[in-house]
Amino acid sequence: MNSRLVITGISILSPIGVNKDAFWNNLTNGVSGIKDITLFDVSKYKSKKAGEISDFDAKEYLGKKGIRHIDRTSLLVSSAAKLVMDDAKVTHEIYSEEELGIVIGSTYGSIGSISSFDLEGLQEGPTFVNPMDFPNTVLNAPASRASIFCKATGLNSTISTGVASGLDAIIYASDFLRLGRGKAVLAGGAHGLTADIFWGAYRSGVLSGSRNGGIEISAPFDKRRNGFIIGEASALLMIERLEDALERNANIYAEIKGYGSTFNPDKISHENIDTSQGVRCISLAMKDAGLSGEDISYISACANSSVTGDKMEAGIIKDYFGDHAEKVPVSAIKSMTGECLDASGVIQCVAGVLAINNGIIPPTINYQEKDEECNLDCVPDNSRESEVKNVLVNSFSDTGNISSIIISKYS
Amino acid sequence: MDKRIVITGVGVISPIGNKNDVFWDALISGTSGVSEITAFDTSVFKVHRGCFVKDFNYSDYISSGSDREIGKGSQFAIAAAKLAIDDSKVGLDNIDPERTGVSIGTTAGEIQILEKVNYIRFEKGEESVDPVLFQRHPCVNMPSNISIEFGLKGPSTIIPTACAAGNYAIGYACDLIKLGRADVMLAGGSDPFSKVAFVGFSRLNAIAPEICQPFDKDRKGLLVGEGAGMLLLESLEGALARNANIYAEILGYGLSCDGYHITIPHPEGNGVTSAMKKALKSARIKPEDVQYVSAHGTGTVANDKAETISIKRVFGEHAKKLAISSIKSMIGHTMGAASAIEAIACALAIKESVVPPTINYETKDPECDLDFVPNVKREMQVDIAMNNAYAFGGNNSSLILKKFTG
Repeated sequence: MNSRLVITGISILSPIGVNKDAFWNNLTNGVSGIKDITLFDVSKYKSKKAGEISDFDAKEYLGKKGIRHIDRTSLLVSSAAKLVMDDAKVTHEIYSEEELGIVIGSTYGSIGSISSFDLEGLQEGPTFVNPMDFPNTVLNAPASRASIFCKATGLNSTISTGVASGLDAIIYASDFLRLGRGKAVLAGGAHGLTADIFWGAYRSGVLSGSRNGGIEISAPFDKRRNGFIIGEASALLMIERLEDALERNANIYAEIKGYGSTFNPDKISHENIDTSQGVRCISLAMKDAGLSGEDISYISACANSSVTGDKMEAGIIKDYFGDHAEKVPVSAIKSMTGECLDASGVIQCVAGVLAINNGIIPPTINYQEKDEECNLDCVPDNSRESEVKNVLVNSFSDTGNISSIIISKYS
Repeated sequence: MDKRIVITGVGVISPIGNKNDVFWDALISGTSGVSEITAFDTSVFKVHRGCFVKDFNYSDYISSGSDREIGKGSQFAIAAAKLAIDDSKVGLDNIDPERTGVSIGTTAGEIQILEKVNYIRFEKGEESVDPVLFQRHPCVNMPSNISIEFGLKGPSTIIPTACAAGNYAIGYACDLIKLGRADVMLAGGSDPFSKVAFVGFSRLNAIAPEICQPFDKDRKGLLVGEGAGMLLLESLEGALARNANIYAEILGYGLSCDGYHITIPHPEGNGVTSAMKKALKSARIKPEDVQYVSAHGTGTVANDKAETISIKRVFGEHAKKLAISSIKSMIGHTMGAASAIEAIACALAIKESVVPPTINYETKDPECDLDFVPNVKREMQVDIAMNNAYAFGGNNSSLILKKFTG
């Protein structure tokens, strides 16, 4: 029957650190990675900030050769893939190329590459586009590049369910391992910031500070919230079947205990939020994990400072947990990293894994004004020492895609 | 986990026909879907042809929204899904929406929307772009639009593993049913004609000037196409309970990755070979059990040679006895939809005991010396078919379908 699945490696490149120690240190100290944008010119926009990875140099991870034509998201994925192999101490002596797979959540990171290729054709004439840039236009390029850098050929897949894609990639990898199709999978998500996505989000009015009167701040669950601040990140987990991890004497960070996915086909508005599919998703994950609401010690929230999205998540948590809702710490780490899109769910998982291992719950920063519609214990501003046994990680996307994962202390 | 998965409905939108019977008749008659490109000016290119869906009317298939609100990729996919639902006679009212999901593959998603956005940016400046238009581009819109159209609340996902995406999506749909995460899945692939792909492939000199000639000695490349193929998948138990028409059983699948080069296939077909072997293993069959192989067969020099080598490596002496065809000779390369439409062709070949031909086959290539069912369909019993699909990035896949005999 189902193998138990464990996390034996984590890697993270984020606005608050390019290794797990720096990330955890900043996360638990409430350090924000949100700063003025340097990657492109934003002078004509009202929103100016993002969570950029300011100290990322792909050469450090991938070497100097052959990386010139590879786009930022692919470089971030490939670098994090190298890091997670190291962190898990997985080498090709332990697992052959064929036994290793890679699954990446990526939806938005390639759009900039597709647009530049297309726009170059419009500007210079289509016969002048550089064919070396063409591979960046396929959405599976980041995962495929990583397979070349890491020599992992057993499985290579990409999931593009928007903000839910990071969690969905972990779920896909877990399904794959549960069915005995592979030994170990590097699974995660990435989003490299591009002017195109910033511009698209800005014009859509979903960015904080893009509308009149709103301050530019990532303040999940806070009454002042008025949109998200975009971020970039890349994070991967090494997932193995428990028996394989034990056999190679691996360091086990945590167990993937259960998960679920649903879809909400109904349009939501701030006044009319249907929580049923979110509640059902958490129920599916709980059932899969064999746990109930009281067992959850921490919720690593999807909340990104959007007016409706945060209210929806709070509503779902309240509807699922009932009276217990106010007793569960819920923190929104996007208050520090920004909304890292495809990477978000995975960073939330990394935060959950580290919370389990360190007995500390990271805070929601920028929390000042209580919003009655989001009246949860959101661990305001200061991290909290607490034993963490079971973490619920949510991705509730505005595209209707809903996923939840439960990560548990390994015993 | 030992649930058996069967195909009980299929739907195709293609350059040679938009209804299942029209598509199948055109396919076994060896109809070419190629035409001159009129959607944009090709005068600066050396090549000018592609394969387009014709006579597609939004309101024939889709109840909600409008042609302007939903991208072409979603439109084709919804239409193919509707055909599959109708074909399965399952009746939307009889399925549990919470237990029904969507798994779709694509190469470029709603690429025509992004091309339109870029055109407006280039011509009039970015201030003139309607932000709603931009939001409709990310490919997550495709599975979401299908789930919304049919009111489905089960897992809704998209796997953009380029030209192999259809097989990936079908394989994952089977896994979701096997694991009890859904009872019914709409699975397949969709891609509208992509100018970006046309420009890119033409810069790689990979596009044929006139016709697509897979495995022919004088093959000159692929033809960019468009379309969608969707399958309705359910557990055998469920299908038998409602006395459904069963096209075929999906016995298993295999995935692999070259890990070699982002655009060039491995010359010895290492990854491709591994995908086929894994598929046979997961289906618990021997190479000799296969009668028909629906080839990836793009018509490029490199692909068809590497695929032939790989088939010989996997099947040994039995390779010569296989009927192998590439329907891309007729419908072009429909990208993420290709392997989904080809899976449907396999299901219909099994059901009808007819194998579609590889058209435009004139000159035998000593490097591709297998039986490619040249130019004329073949009536033969197909018990087991293998559907191959490969992609940029070295994403390889093989799917095994079997005649349902109880």
